[in-house]
Amino acid sequence: MTLAQSIPTATVSESMSWVGLALLFPLVSAVLCALMAAFRFRGKGPALVTAIALGASFAVILRAYMTYSGTPVVIPIFDWIDFSWSGGGTFKSFAANMSLYVDRLTLFWMLFVTGLGTLITVYASEYMESDRGAGYCRFFFGISIFLASMTALVMSDNLLMLYLGWEGVGLASYLLIGYYYTRPSAVAAAKKAFIVNRIGDLGLALGTFLIWSNYGTVQYDTLFAALSSGGWSGADWDKSLIPYLLMLGAFGKSAQIPLYVWLPDAMEGPTPVSALIHAATMVTAGVYHIARMYPLFELHPDALATVAWIGGGTALLAATIGMAQYDMKRVFAYSTISQLGYMFLGLGVGSTFAAAYHTFTHAFFKALLFLTAGAVMHGFGGQLDIRKLSGLLKVPGFRIVGWMMLVGCLWLSALPYSAAFFSKDEIILAAFINGDRAIPALGWIALGTAALTAYYTFRVWFRVWLGPVRYEPDPVEMAHMAAAHGADHGHGDHGHDAASHGAHGHSASHGTGHGHGDSHDFHPHAPRLAINGVLVILGIGAVLAGLPNYLVMAGRESENWVQWMLAGSSAYQGAGVPGGDHSHTILGMDAHRAMLLLGGCATFGGIAVAAWLHLFSRASADRLRSALLANPLTRWIPLGAERKWLVDEFYHWVLRLPLWIGGQIMSFADRHVLDGALVNGFGKLPLALGRLFRPLYGGPLQGYAVTMAGGVALVLAWVVWMWTRGAH
Amino acid sequence: MMGMESMGPRLGLLAPEMVLFAGAVLVSVIGLSRSAGMRRSVPLWCIVALVAAAFVSVETWTQERASAAQLLFPSMGSFVKPMLALVGVLLVLPGIGAIDRGVEGAIASGRQAFDALRVMRGEHYAFALFSIAGAMLLCGASDLIWLFLALELVSLPTYIMVALGRGSRKAQEAAVKYFFLGALSTALFLYGFALIYGSTGTLQIAGIRDAFAAQAAGPGIDMTGLAGLCLAILGLCFKITAVPMHFYAPDVYEGAAVHVSAFLAFVPKVAGFVALAVLLGTAGWTGHALIAADGVRVAYTGLPEPVAAVLWMSAVLTMTLGNVGALMQRSIKRTLAYSSVSHSGYMMIGLIVGAPAGINALFFYLLCYGIMTTASFAALAALERSGEEVDSFDDIAGLRVRHPAVAWMLAISAVSLVGIPPMVGFFGKLALFMAAFESGQVALVAIAVVNSAVSAWYYLRLAIVPLVAPPSARSATVVSAPSRWPAICAVVCGVGSVIVPLAASRLLQASERASEGYGAGSAVAGDESGPKGSGGLYTSRLTRP
Repeated sequence: MTLAQSIPTATVSESMSWVGLALLFPLVSAVLCALMAAFRFRGKGPALVTAIALGASFAVILRAYMTYSGTPVVIPIFDWIDFSWSGGGTFKSFAANMSLYVDRLTLFWMLFVTGLGTLITVYASEYMESDRGAGYCRFFFGISIFLASMTALVMSDNLLMLYLGWEGVGLASYLLIGYYYTRPSAVAAAKKAFIVNRIGDLGLALGTFLIWSNYGTVQYDTLFAALSSGGWSGADWDKSLIPYLLMLGAFGKSAQIPLYVWLPDAMEGPTPVSALIHAATMVTAGVYHIARMYPLFELHPDALATVAWIGGGTALLAATIGMAQYDMKRVFAYSTISQLGYMFLGLGVGSTFAAAYHTFTHAFFKALLFLTAGAVMHGFGGQLDIRKLSGLLKVPGFRIVGWMMLVGCLWLSALPYSAAFFSKDEIILAAFINGDRAIPALGWIALGTAALTAYYTFRVWFRVWLGPVRYEPDPVEMAHMAAAHGADHGHGDHGHDAASHGAHGHSASHGTGHGHGDSHDFHPHAPRLAINGVLVILGIGAVLAGLPNYLVMAGRESENWVQWMLAGSSAYQGAGVPGGDHSHTILGMDAHRAMLLLGGCATFGGIAVAAWLHLFSRASADRLRSALLANPLTRWIPLGAERKWLVDEFYHWVLRLPLWIGGQIMSFADRHVLDGALVNGFGKLPLALGRLFRPLYGGPLQGYAVTMAGGVALVLAWVVWMWTRGAH
Repeated sequence: MMGMESMGPRLGLLAPEMVLFAGAVLVSVIGLSRSAGMRRSVPLWCIVALVAAAFVSVETWTQERASAAQLLFPSMGSFVKPMLALVGVLLVLPGIGAIDRGVEGAIASGRQAFDALRVMRGEHYAFALFSIAGAMLLCGASDLIWLFLALELVSLPTYIMVALGRGSRKAQEAAVKYFFLGALSTALFLYGFALIYGSTGTLQIAGIRDAFAAQAAGPGIDMTGLAGLCLAILGLCFKITAVPMHFYAPDVYEGAAVHVSAFLAFVPKVAGFVALAVLLGTAGWTGHALIAADGVRVAYTGLPEPVAAVLWMSAVLTMTLGNVGALMQRSIKRTLAYSSVSHSGYMMIGLIVGAPAGINALFFYLLCYGIMTTASFAALAALERSGEEVDSFDDIAGLRVRHPAVAWMLAISAVSLVGIPPMVGFFGKLALFMAAFESGQVALVAIAVVNSAVSAWYYLRLAIVPLVAPPSARSATVVSAPSRWPAICAVVCGVGSVIVPLAASRLLQASERASEGYGAGSAVAGDESGPKGSGGLYTSRLTRP
């Protein structure tokens, strides 16, 4: 296999080093937040500093975008590691300098990462305000560290710096998931996210090692050159291992089978974190990495097919779980996993454009969905259970939130002619017809998943926003907040275990006594300007994300902006629009027309079912569930989906328990054998020896002297012996 | 004999040493001042002298001067001298507030009148400067007498520093041990020097190199010369705490005040390695051959086989015994002493690999080692428990709670000493092991890597006990030392361990000066004729494929 096209080589540009400011600003903001924490600052300073730094970072990227000449640029910041040596007869080098690689893929990713980062920081300035003080500083420190690491990850010109950023975002994610560190569930979720990600990171590290040992470089520029010239014969087993290892890293960071289990639990973090890190930006790092390394994946068709199948499978699995969850944020978390699955499907069937475009549109509408969910939590005492919230559109002050969530839900359901419809459409289309990369079976799975997506999305929206007005604060959260803040209005993020609510919660929420004002002195806390403003901007952003396609449809542009962005990068291989020549057909129709029809049917079908079960006849949803539970043959469907197909339990028994037992054995061995017998025993040895030999020497000083002299004598005797044997 | 024409350039090269001598005189006078403020300024003047020496060493070093001085390693000083001076600045800090503490306290409270005979701060710092100046002088050694005198100038002040640093009987005992065993080692390498003189007929180092090269090209280096080299190496092993001369290290490091231990762990070691590099440079890493009974020469790359074998065994034993010894310790200072032994073992790999790559890597490693080991000793110096030094793992359990900065610095230095990326220790080991690997020393690298893994056991304990373990009854009574400077030193070195690697490339380039120009003035080229191949047991590992 060799690459179809060669990749443009980068030019080195010292004069563009101002782009490095995009990395510097969040770092400075992190330092300032830490200092504010040290000086026990209680104001909104950290939010202000972070928002300004991220905004400035966005401006830098925007300027870089404006002035970008069209060929990739390597911008050296400073030399970090640059070794070279000759080993085994060949010259080798290991160079990983602090340099930035700027091409359109980089700029594209950075534009929405810094842009959304700024917006969500503004939102969080209001959302987190009840934690002003040390917690506020800590939160914005985490956000700054995250943005700095994400910038390093996306903009680095080599795999080592990418790995550094990769670990940095993992650390930030860990710190922010565990933000409410007094809550055991949050601590457990943070640990789970970190440890599951370690497995993926191991793959990434090993992949990087193998890339270096096979291609002699970890810098993109030289790596791509080596790939264009060298290729792959199929016989090099270690080369063919590389994409699978890199893939493992991507699956960990982007929550795909088998490493997706951490993301739903990560919702324990504050909602802005869920929106920024666990929906819009960090989880797309895996997509970015595969897109960046596309020239390498290009050489391994089987690896790409694996990516496609994992992506499609994850999309379906996560959607089925999302259908049965009662916690709003968990539903959205599973929808994130599912949508990320779509992106990997797009990558796998050879359309990096579709994957990148879906990443872009998803970033907006998913951030919007999380932030609206956050506004509901913020306002209703941490309540997230869709069985305990109803008709909120009629609650004063929540109208904007409701309508904005509707926009998010419609986009997530891929409403025809919305931005997300175009991007999802491209992915499914690519799965059907993208030449020899196409996997039509996955196209059908993706279509079916689209219908499920529309159903579970509108299940949430219809339940929460329409119907009779009814709400109650989360008792656990209220108690927590009362204890922590002296009955200040409560919000925060409380993860529910949906299964535990299965038995009693269901009937309670439909009981008669749970009307408006059920919890006596509880008053909803309507969002103010920072939250509403950001929601509206994100809503507009979600709509405008379709602009690249509208312009093409209106004949104003010849190609989609995102496609144009990708075409000038290393990921261009899959950037072509599949079926652009209208020669492909699905079910006898023109491919694009077929997608419009099929996609529209899936979306509206899903919404219609949701409307029937969760708006017009909520009782029939209960009846359906009872009917399924009553039949022993179908019992597993609702129970399995609610309990997430027992994947967590499976991991617990198959992986965690054996490891735990092994750990206990090791710990026992450490305490009793190594520390006990060996170390303590050896510790006594010199004393015992000393006692044994003391009569000989008469004291430690003489003892040492005699030992030294003895050693010298031995060495000399040895040297003489060697000399007599002819060694000179 | 040194002609007058070489006097000028050589004086130019000695400018940093002269600055340090002047500083030492100044400091010893100021230290006797009646004014407490003046006495307190002693460390400051010490730092001024060291910074000036670093500056002067960079400014006055020129290629012409270096080549005119006819040194074996003409450029070594331009890397080693600034390194010694700058790490020296860091080594001044942990002692502030500890030296003369009792006497100064009594004078301040009026319980005691000032008595010039009872204060020794000036002396302590003057001796420190003398010792560093001695180590710098070694870089300019052109004959064996100079080498010997410079080595003694490094050692003699340190004996006194051990005795002065701490008022306890333990320190006296340590000083006596250190002195007598040091004298034994001096006798050894002096005897070695005498044998080398006997074999080559000259004391000039360049002359010895030429004589050895001539012998190697003919029948091989003779028995007297080889024995002389090996004896000198063994004597110098004392300076670098290498097997079989390492026994004193744990006792002396434990007995000495902690800031003196930090000094002992760095300055004599640099001196020892400079001297060893110069001595081994006379025999050279090329041009040696095995001569079989039938007269067939089998040339190989590396030191003469007996010398290589001695160094090889010593390196392996040093790193292994150092690590195994450290595993068993309950005292932190003894742990660090054994750790210092094991690091010498790693660094000896650089001597075996030789110029240029091995010597460069060795001196780069010394710089890394200086930063991280000073961090750990300074962190200990920043704490005390009922007026005593902190020295058991119980004392530092849960240190994070009450002394977070010190706890973190201790942990960082420990992690760096293991050699975990991206700490400075990793880059030191990387450069060293890479040089060894490249020269075919695969077995030695494997042993060193296994040793590094073993060392993680006790280093990580040094990181985990302060950060994770619950505070103990003993650690609850640990308080900060009266001066903040040891803590500041720990923070500078600890943060340095993390930040310095960012400049790893540049520092590695700088360290290439250590062996730049080596072998330029050799009169006799090594005879490389005859069949090449693996030599004996140890040099087989030295042969390039």
